[in-house]
Amino acid sequence: MDRKDLVNIHHLFGKHISHGQVRYLRSAHLNTLERKRKGVRFMDAGSGRMFYDAFTSAGCFNVGRMNESVIQALDEALDKYDMGSEGFLSVPKIKLANYLAKLAPGDLNRVILCASGGDACACAMKLARAATGRNQIITMVKAYHGHEGFSLSGNGKDYYKHLFLPLMPGFMLAPFNDLAAAQRIASTNTAAIVLEPVQGEAGIHVSTLEFIRGLRELCNKLGILLVFDEVQTGIGRTGKLWASEHYGVLPDIMFIAKSLSGGLYPNGAVIFKESGLPAEYVFKNPFFHRSLSGGSDLGCIVSIQVLDFVVNKRLWENASSMGNYFKDGLVKLWNDNPRIIKEVRGLGLMIGIEYQYEFVGALMAECLSQQGIWAAFSGNAPQVMRFQVPITATQDEIEDILEKVKRAILTLRKYLAVLIPMARIPFIRRMLDNVHMQIFTFNLVRDIEEFFTQTLNLKK
Amino acid sequence: MQRNKSQEPVFIEDARNGAYVIDANGAKYIDCYSSASTYNLGRRNKRLIASLKQAIFETDQGNFVMISEEKALLAEKISKFVPGPLDCVLFGVTRGESMDAACKLARGATGRPGLITVDGGAYGDTGFALSLSEHPLKKDFGDLIPGIVVVPLGDHEAAEAAISHNTAAFILEPVQAEYHCRSLATDYLKHIRRLCEKTGTCLIFDESQTGFGRTGKKFAYEHHDIYPDILVVGEAITGGIFPMTAMVFTSELKQFFDIHPLIHLCTFGGHDVGCRVAAAALDEYEQIKPWQNAKVQGAKIMNELKSAMASDDRIKSLNGLGLLISLLFSSAETANRFCFLASKNGILLHKGIVDCCCVLIRPSLLITEGEVEIINQGIRATMKDL
Repeated sequence: MDRKDLVNIHHLFGKHISHGQVRYLRSAHLNTLERKRKGVRFMDAGSGRMFYDAFTSAGCFNVGRMNESVIQALDEALDKYDMGSEGFLSVPKIKLANYLAKLAPGDLNRVILCASGGDACACAMKLARAATGRNQIITMVKAYHGHEGFSLSGNGKDYYKHLFLPLMPGFMLAPFNDLAAAQRIASTNTAAIVLEPVQGEAGIHVSTLEFIRGLRELCNKLGILLVFDEVQTGIGRTGKLWASEHYGVLPDIMFIAKSLSGGLYPNGAVIFKESGLPAEYVFKNPFFHRSLSGGSDLGCIVSIQVLDFVVNKRLWENASSMGNYFKDGLVKLWNDNPRIIKEVRGLGLMIGIEYQYEFVGALMAECLSQQGIWAAFSGNAPQVMRFQVPITATQDEIEDILEKVKRAILTLRKYLAVLIPMARIPFIRRMLDNVHMQIFTFNLVRDIEEFFTQTLNLKK
Repeated sequence: MQRNKSQEPVFIEDARNGAYVIDANGAKYIDCYSSASTYNLGRRNKRLIASLKQAIFETDQGNFVMISEEKALLAEKISKFVPGPLDCVLFGVTRGESMDAACKLARGATGRPGLITVDGGAYGDTGFALSLSEHPLKKDFGDLIPGIVVVPLGDHEAAEAAISHNTAAFILEPVQAEYHCRSLATDYLKHIRRLCEKTGTCLIFDESQTGFGRTGKKFAYEHHDIYPDILVVGEAITGGIFPMTAMVFTSELKQFFDIHPLIHLCTFGGHDVGCRVAAAALDEYEQIKPWQNAKVQGAKIMNELKSAMASDDRIKSLNGLGLLISLLFSSAETANRFCFLASKNGILLHKGIVDCCCVLIRPSLLITEGEVEIINQGIRATMKDL
């Protein structure tokens, strides 16, 4: 794509969607334009460079980008189907529901199909409140479940909420991995405790075994429904098909989306126990949550193929071994760079690097981008860089990514040689951590860069 | 899977084509449900299928936080397609999510909490949308979004009393499809528009059922010569071939998203494949202008129903605009029975979800005269069977 077209796309995006978003991405060299997507990579239309996709739309592309078997399934389905009609049954809907019931852990055998993670979260929270007749929902500090009204009310970071108040009463936040706190907050007025077994946007925090088992006991004792958001962790990401398997704990309700879509056709689902209050409520009120485009016939056919692909190849095993390999490599980098990296953590191919300084997030994104890795810092924790590459990744690819991360850190060290001494001054530190200031400064840098590149090109 | 509680044999949707649906037993129906006004361009519209088939070999969902060519080009196209000063877009997956986004934008941009809506609305099943809607099970879901005032539809004084400098948005559907297609009068809408301007309130229209030609105009607000500040559109934006909805708004309101980038995210919203299909659908809409046909064929069905009503007092009243038509019966049971009997006569219908006594007729907008005649005959036969 030539420069004129590229500038035009940026202009149209800015004019009709968000100029602020363009500037925000540009500040960290993340204003790439995805073309040719394949496996673990995509090509940037502007530069023609290949990038490793380490963000994968926060874990949508578990089966790799533009997975041929999934494309083919959709292509064939299009000879017969469309989305279908909300409220009516069809063979693809029945097949997917059966498949999910078979794959979901334990007696989680009832399925409601939804359109997105947020939609599924709303459905799960409504189900929990309606089934128990209780109002309170406990979510975790820094939790992230979506942006519609229910999931937003349970979001664990003020940034996403404070301009849209008042939200729903009855939502309480508990610190993650703090069982005693959850025990203090929970009561017989609590409908549900909702959490991500591995927090994604919060900056990749893995639940401890004691925490999850303790929550299960707490829920049993008080008649609370335990709800797992497996939107990012599900379908093999963490090294098991479902993250809950790591803990040997069954939730009452779980919900999934993202990778169920194969990155090709939106779909989502809420899966719950075949007996108990939620099942009774849904039996009496089958249409309590309508999702017009959720569980569409085309979406169901795509999801069936995605599950087939993951199950037949036992991809969670690859996620586990590649995840360990990746994490070991990153831990080595952490040992070599303790002044920059604070911690490396994760489960399977859901890995995060936490930096010592918040402002490093955007800077590291830029350094990685220069090396050909597209990674994003966490929405609810900018000091954490997330790596969620497709779980189809091979050892060669992970090795290459590690090598590039290593080089990116070398570049980062040069920046930090200047910035860390400055960051010791509280006033400067506040400025550095301020996202608006980052956007302004780095856009200025981009302008200067582009000015010189163009001048050089003209001279040539 | 959700259970079917009725004793009737379960309807399983199988093949579909244009105005028709065929069930697993091979029985053929005219689809007068259209998945709640989604299939405006008919079931499996050939050009849309072709565009989707092509798109999936060329692109995928894309990373939702990135700049995308597909999103940018579709947004530009929408700004041209939608009449009035509505130039900016935020994409969603369900109608409810787009309504939630609209309420958030209104609150965020005005810095005010208040939301006003009229009674009888059906905006979707997510948090804000549900809080605004009249839903039979609403009380089961606990404390919803606070700060919402519901005023009686058409009541000028009540609207005037409710609106203030503390109101972020006034939200309504120009035609309440799920509530027996109650339409809002032009003078009422103009009054609301004036009140919004006076108080700096955003006017939000939900056209997820009325948009894209269903009422005989591209959008229902064109019947009234006014514009909303935010417009919610439904899955008809892709002709029902891809899960996508959108919120369309003024460039003045967009400033909020410029100042607060990525404050509202939607993973599947603005899916690159979906954007391509929607762009093809908009071309199709512009070329065919199905609103013209909707007006003509809608009038024919309406005339048939009027004469049926004149001789049959089981139909309590008739409402509708274009190909969004509602028959009101005396009870939900009668409405249910009517839908069931109509299916025996080859007509697929769905009841209203707010007023369960009404039955809606909302076929493809490309329906032919011959197919309208089949609908009319089917209704006549069903009235006899009832």
